[in-house]
This record gives sequence, C-alpha cells and structure tokens, in this order.
Amino acid sequence: MIEYDTEAGVMVIKLVYYGPALSGKTTNLMCLHDLLPCGGRGNLMVLDTARERTIYFDLLPFFITAPSGLRIKVKVFTVPGQVKHDATRKAVLQRADGVAFIADSQVRENLNNATSFENLEQNLALVGLDPDKLPLVIQYNKRDLPGITPEDEIRSLWRPSGVPLFFASALEGWGVVDTFECLLRVTYASLDGRYCLSESHGLSAQAFTCGLTCPEVSPGLQESSL
Amino acid sequence: MTVQGSISFVVGEEKKLTDVLSESDVMPLLKSVVGAGLDLAAIVDTAGEPLWFFAPGETRPGSMLPLGAAQECRPIMLSGDTVGRVHLSAGGEIDPALLRFLARVVGDAVNSMVQTNLKRMMVTELHTKVVQMSYDELLEKNRQLSASEQKYRELAEHLEVRVQDRTAELKQAYARMLQQEKMASVGQLAAGMAHEINNPLSFVLSNLKTLEKYVSRFTELAGFYEEQVAQAGSDAVTRCLQAKRSELKIDFILDDLGDLFTQSHAGAERVKKILSDLRGFSHIDDAEHSQLDVNAEIERTLSVLSSEIPGDAEITRELAEIPLVVCRGALLCQAFLNIIRNAIQVKPHGLRLRIRTALHANDHITIVFKDNGPGIAPDIQARIFEPFFTTHEVGSGMGMGLKVAYDAVTSCCGTITLSSKEGQGAAFVITLPINGRCNE
Ligand SMILES: Nc1nc2c(ncn2[C@@H]2O[C@H](COP(=O)(O)OP(=O)(O)OP(=O)(O)O)[C@@H](O)[C@H]2O)c(=O)[nH]1
Ligand SMILES: [Mg+2]
Repeated sequence: MIEYDTEAGVMVIKLVYYGPALSGKTTNLMCLHDLLPCGGRGNLMVLDTARERTIYFDLLPFFITAPSGLRIKVKVFTVPGQVKHDATRKAVLQRADGVAFIADSQVRENLNNATSFENLEQNLALVGLDPDKLPLVIQYNKRDLPGITPEDEIRSLWRPSGVPLFFASALEGWGVVDTFECLLRVTYASLDGRYCLSESHGLSAQAFTCGLTCPEVSPGLQESSL
Repeated sequence: MTVQGSISFVVGEEKKLTDVLSESDVMPLLKSVVGAGLDLAAIVDTAGEPLWFFAPGETRPGSMLPLGAAQECRPIMLSGDTVGRVHLSAGGEIDPALLRFLARVVGDAVNSMVQTNLKRMMVTELHTKVVQMSYDELLEKNRQLSASEQKYRELAEHLEVRVQDRTAELKQAYARMLQQEKMASVGQLAAGMAHEINNPLSFVLSNLKTLEKYVSRFTELAGFYEEQVAQAGSDAVTRCLQAKRSELKIDFILDDLGDLFTQSHAGAERVKKILSDLRGFSHIDDAEHSQLDVNAEIERTLSVLSSEIPGDAEITRELAEIPLVVCRGALLCQAFLNIIRNAIQVKPHGLRLRIRTALHANDHITIVFKDNGPGIAPDIQARIFEPFFTTHEVGSGMGMGLKVAYDAVTSCCGTITLSSKEGQGAAFVITLPINGRCNE
C-alpha cells in the first residue's frame, strides 16, 4: 500500500504488472486504457522508453470512491522486464498490493518466464513482501501467436499453486480486462481483511471491481458523483 | 533496509500540485496572460484557495469570486485526479470567446507542465530510489563484508596464536624425538657394544679358569720336582734350585697368583654384569610393553649410573615387595636415571638420596625419590617438566631430563609429581597403575 490516510480519507493502492521482457506488460496497460471507460481512470503515463522497451515504468491510475467517502486510487504499474533493470523492478515492486505476472506464451520464452517468476519471488522477499500471501494472478499473453505452449500444459503447470490463470492477447485485446478484474478481486479480498473495506466503508467486492472497470454502472461512482 | 538519514521514496507516492509546479513555472504564464487584458490570473487548489496569482494593483485577490466580471476556469489534472484549477477573470469589456481561448491555452500549458514535471520527478525519484536501494544494499554488503572481515581477522589472529602454539608444540615434540632418538641410538650402541664385548669376555673368563687350572698344575709340577730332588739327596742341586727359586721370587708369585686369579675373575665378572645391566637398561631385547620388576629396574639404573655417583653420596633404598607393572622398560629406566642424575647434579657433595617403593591398595605403586638438595623454588616448580627448562649451567644438559621423565611416566599411564620446599630438598613421586594397560 502506497498510502492510507484515514484523516484525509485517501487510500492509494499499488498493483504491479511483472514479467519477462517483451511479454506485453505495457501493451496490457495500453489495452486497459483503451478498453475501460475514462470515467474512473486517469491517463496512461509512459515514462521514457527506449525503442518501446520500458526503462522506468508505466503508470495507469484508477479511482473509486467508497460509499463511506474514502477515495481509493489504484495505481497500476508495469516494471521493465529486461534483466538489467532489476533495481528499478525492485523499486517499483516496493509496497505492492497485488501483482499480475504477464508471461509470454511462446514456447521459446518458457525459460524467460521461469527466470522472471523466480526473480519476482526473490524481489518480493527483498522488499519485504511475502510471495505466498501477496495477491497474484498469472496471464499467458500472446495467445494469438503460433508456437505457443498449449493451454493444458500451462494449466497443469500452475494448478498446484492455485494461482488464478488467464490466457490473453493484449494485441487483439482479449483476456486483458479479465486478468485485471481478477487481480482487483484478489487484491480486494486481501485488503478487505486488513482494512474492512466492506464493513467500514460499505464497499463490496463487486462494487470495487465494477467501479474500477466499468464506472458508468458502478453504484459507488454514482454516489460519489452526486 | 532504510538507512538513517537517507531519503525514502515510494514509487507512486501521491503528489500535491505544489510538489509538481513551482512559482517560477507558473508566474511567467500568469503574468503574460494578464498582459493580454485580464484583471486576474490564478492557480487555485481544489478548495478554491489561490496557490499562485497575478492581479495588477492587488496584493491579495481577497475572494476568488469575481466582482461581477467574466471568468473562466480549467481543471488541472495530476495523474487523473483534479488537483486544482486555472482561474482567469476580467472586467466586462473582454470578449468571452477570447477569455475561453486564453483559459484553454493556459490550462493546456499548465497541464502539460504538470505532466512533464511529474514525469521528470518520477524519473528522478526512481533514480534516487534505485541509487538509494543500491546504496543501502552496498551498505548492507559492506556491513556484512566488514563483519566477515572482522571474523576473518579474529580467525587470523587466533590462527597466529595457534600457529605459535603448534610451533612450540612441534619444537617440543621434535626435541623429545631427538632426545629419544639419541637415547635409542646410545642404547643401541651400548647394547651392540655389550654384545661385541660379551664374546671375547666369555673366552677371557673361561680361559682364565683354564689358565688357573694349568698354572696350578705347573705349581704342582714344580713342587713335585723339589720333592724328588730333596729325596735324591743332592744338596748342591737343592741349594741351586732354592737359590733360583728365591731369585725368581717364586714363593711370592705363588702367593700372589691366587689373588691375581681371584681379582681378574672378579673384574671380568663385573664387566659381564655391567654389560648385562647395560643391555637390561636399554631394554633392547624387550617387547614395547613388558612386565617389569620396578625394584630391579631401580637397581639396574643405579648400577649403570655407578660411575657418576660421587663417593660421598649416600643412596638408601627402601624397596617394598611390589607386583610387576606393565610398562616400557627403557622409558621407565630413563625416567629413573634422569631423576637420579638430576639429584646428583643439584647436590654434587653430600647427596643423600632415598629411593622408596610402595604398593597402595593393590592398585598402584609409588616410587619416591627424595633428595637433600637445594629444592626447587615454587615459581619454577610448574615449569620443570617443560622441555629445555633447566636451572643447570648451560652445557651441562639439554634441559630435557625431567621432561623425558615426565613423558616416560605418562606414557606408562602414570603420573609424576614434585613436592619441594626451597632449601629442603625435593621429592619426585611417580605413581604407576598395576593393572592399567597403557593405551599409548
Ligand atoms: N502477437 C502479439 N504481440 C504482442 C502481444 N502483446 C504484446 N505484443 C508485442 O510484444 C512487444 C513487446 O510488448 P511490450 O508491451 O512493450 O512488452 P513489455 O512487457 O512492456 O516489455 P518491457 O517493457 O521490455 O518489459 C510489442 O511489440 C508488442 O506489440 C500479444 O498479445 N500478441
Ligand atoms: Mg514495457
């Protein structure tokens, strides 16, 4: 959690899109930016890139106001996937509330996926987060490409871990919002336990997820816009 | 891992408008837009409070509510959030379209400035963060390094001490080895010589006996001649014989002959005994561990040492009946020898040495060597079993004597202790177990 100021009534949540280089983290955010209505979000901020490779991070902020008046900002970050930017990855990962791991479905990327996931677990531990407790979802991106690892194989690989698994093509724009919604759900579950979002702030899981992904029909936003 | 005194950023931390914009960013803009014919240009926060403003002729805008004038506002967005407004107002004369246009221009300019500054800040902060994390990591690494360096240093220091200890130990072991080797080679030499001497000595002894027998026959023959001559009644021949007999001092010779034979015999026998003591002392013929009669070993040692024992020394033995002990004979004799020799060296004149053996509880025996020497000062009592420790003059010994005694006794599972008062002699007490097998 970046910030929780009860007096000012502001909660700032950090979600991080992690994964190997070129797996489509930035594309995921761009896709979310394009697919989700602009009512509940800010603009995608892409810090300097070098030939479309992220070198710092990308940031897409979302907002929702709970019935209690608590303003919740959800800041979604991507990390640079290239191995050499590990320090930046660590810095961005600090105080994350949830992580979406974006894997590259191409068979030849399997090793990179594994290395990156290992790196995620290491860095989580380094910044003081428990990899076993942190809300996590996994997305296998680039399903539109040939030469990809079959779904069955991926499913049986991850089933033992119990981590929610998604297949997507950020390029074609499918699976991306599902992944994000799921990340919001698991993050909500974890935060609700600690901050009583539903009890003290009247914010249900459904309201939280919908409020952030389709604000027009979100009861939370309607109330706050009064 | 945050180090005291360092700046701590969290990537994504909330920013206020005043964090992102500075007076020097906005004032030129506000001034120039007022120059286009406005009364007031301001940037206000979400509560409507002015953060920066420019209004010619006014120091405070008082209230942001325009005095019946035209006004335009544009929101300022900071990562998707409205954080303030650009506020322009003018007197009635201004064209509302121009005001709207100016508001849009200023709003866009401020927003893009906010965007650019925010990006710059985030990059800077990220850099700072990365640098700081690397710095923290470096510090941590350095801490670990110096901790392990400390450990290594301690280790190294200890190592030095241990090396010194080991070196001293090795030196001692080496010296002992030398000494033992010397003893062994002396023993071997002695044993070899004893063997060599033994053979000629044996025939000297047996020839001596034969010679005695032969001589007695000659004596008998001479007597027989004299008798026969006397019976033949030739006085002249008898006189002649007697004259020759006294000229040759045959009577004296016959008298002396017995003594000569007895003494030669005794001498040869003594040589034989010395040789056997030497062999016994060196235990050259024994197995490593053998059953020893300690009393006999003491006698043997004394006999080997006999030439070194001064004439006026008085050595008394109180040797009790004691069972055999299992021990390395050569070492034990060496221990006795060194203790006795030490006693002789510290008291060359008027030495009185009492050697006593005793059996205790059918379990162990003690051998006590008590002398009337000068005794051993308390401060050196603890050191006398150290190698090279000597109070004797340089050259009289290697200072190994008592150390060898100590090693000899401990290698037989025994103990050796010293009780001494300065000026009142010293007593070495050796204790040996009877049944204790040496596990050395
Ligand atoms: N075919 C296909 N290409 C994709 C998909 N998602 C992303 N890409 C492409 O993969 C390349 C890398 O995408 P990015 O989103 O920049 O990857 P990234 O994970 O942000 O990479 P880094 O910033 O270097 O870590 C781009 O050329 C994308 O167009 C997908 O679903 N299908
Ligand atoms: Mg990227």
